[in-house]
Amino acid sequence: MTTTPASAHRSAEPASFRDPEARVVYSADGEVLRELSPRAREDWEALSGATFFRRALEDGRIVGTEELSPGLLRHERVPFVSYPYEWPFEMLRDAALLQLGLLEKALAEDFILKDGTPYNVQWRGAEPVFVDVGSFERLRSGEPWAGYRQFCMLFLYPLMLQAYRGIAPQPWLRGSLEGIEPSEARALLPRRRRGVLTHVVLHDRLEAKNADRSGEVRAELKASGFRKELIEANVKRLLKLVRRLQPKRGRSTWAGYREAAPYEPEDAERKERFVREAGRADLAWDLGCNDGRFSRAVDAEHVVAVDGEERVVAELYDTLRGEGSNRILPLVVDLADASPGRGWRGVERRRLEERGRPDLVLCLALVHHLAIGRNLPFEELIGWLRSLEARLVIEFADRDDPMVKRLLAAKRAETHESYGRDTFERALGERFEVERREELGSGMRTLYLATPR
Amino acid sequence: MAPLGYLDPGSGSMLLQIILGGVAAIGVTMKMGWRRLLRTLRLRRDDDDAS
Repeated sequence: MTTTPASAHRSAEPASFRDPEARVVYSADGEVLRELSPRAREDWEALSGATFFRRALEDGRIVGTEELSPGLLRHERVPFVSYPYEWPFEMLRDAALLQLGLLEKALAEDFILKDGTPYNVQWRGAEPVFVDVGSFERLRSGEPWAGYRQFCMLFLYPLMLQAYRGIAPQPWLRGSLEGIEPSEARALLPRRRRGVLTHVVLHDRLEAKNADRSGEVRAELKASGFRKELIEANVKRLLKLVRRLQPKRGRSTWAGYREAAPYEPEDAERKERFVREAGRADLAWDLGCNDGRFSRAVDAEHVVAVDGEERVVAELYDTLRGEGSNRILPLVVDLADASPGRGWRGVERRRLEERGRPDLVLCLALVHHLAIGRNLPFEELIGWLRSLEARLVIEFADRDDPMVKRLLAAKRAETHESYGRDTFERALGERFEVERREELGSGMRTLYLATPR
Repeated sequence: MAPLGYLDPGSGSMLLQIILGGVAAIGVTMKMGWRRLLRTLRLRRDDDDAS
């Protein structure tokens, strides 16, 4: 890193150490900057003149980028950073297709991506954006795609796991930032399914037989006339393969919840109005978003809509993507076990709460699920919500509510004896000032608008 | 050879890219020669040539 007086005031992005050629840093006022090495600078100069790159910048597939001075770029800031282990299948697949599509266009103009990682994709709402401009470099003849293995481990195998086995890949991706090894994928995936024999079985076999021969193999490939047409053929195959992968899912508890839930339509409309009247926000979090009805109602520049059910989030994503929405970002997050800090020193991939604080939090039809379903004490839940330092719209459902009855029926009676409106209001009142309170028509649910004390 | 990048592309993964090259790989395969390709892929041992 250069140590000019200007860069002395910059702070390094903790996740941007793997590729020292093009590091991301933040300016004192929070701008996203990228410092290029002399070599990366040459790549950037060539790249900025490429047609595919200019087009992708214009239509938003690549993150907004401008050159501030030679070797220093400034990027558009994405509204909220998210990680592949928070994306439903459809988002991971769209991120893969974006990456492969860009690679295909880049190859035609003799550029290549030096890696193949979903961490290079972020979202403007439901629209994927490729954010690592430093990943593009000029293609060197005789060399294969260095990111192919990474693409398999972090995109292809996780997608195959859900498509061919019905196993959700998010816990695997959260468990290992490097993804699933070819040898592990071989043990997990059925060899008769499309793409498994080559990308998985043969991949593992060649890897096992050729350990530590990287330099030798590269020389051999170069001498044999390895050319970009081979990479292009592989990318085309991968595009075709990934497009055809469809998620296999078990039954879901909450998909179609809105239809099945004992809500009066009138109650839902009052809830919507209550949310709309909660005031303007730059960033709102909708916790337990389900079909996103209230994410749509809230008056916010950006919304992060989270739900623990992958299928529910997938359905919301599909709808938003169809609408071309760039305001609501749907994420799979179990709030009783939200994304922790991961990677080097636990800061490379940050905790959910450390990626931009909301100024409004919606917590609708959620308290009973966490308090009864997950045995989370009111004080704990309210304490955590208080730590977000945001206005809060929260709904409480009484013991007589049919959903609460259903949840209580699954537990020993004594476990949740204290579950009731009084205890809830006491916990809420200790940490928040309640500004507004509205009982819904059914009389079993109450809405609160509260500000931190 | 000069290092490829910041990632180790994996020797097995590089070799697989010949096979995944489809029609475009025919030229490479011919240039390498079938036996040499199998040897390079380590799917055939060096001493197999003697037989």
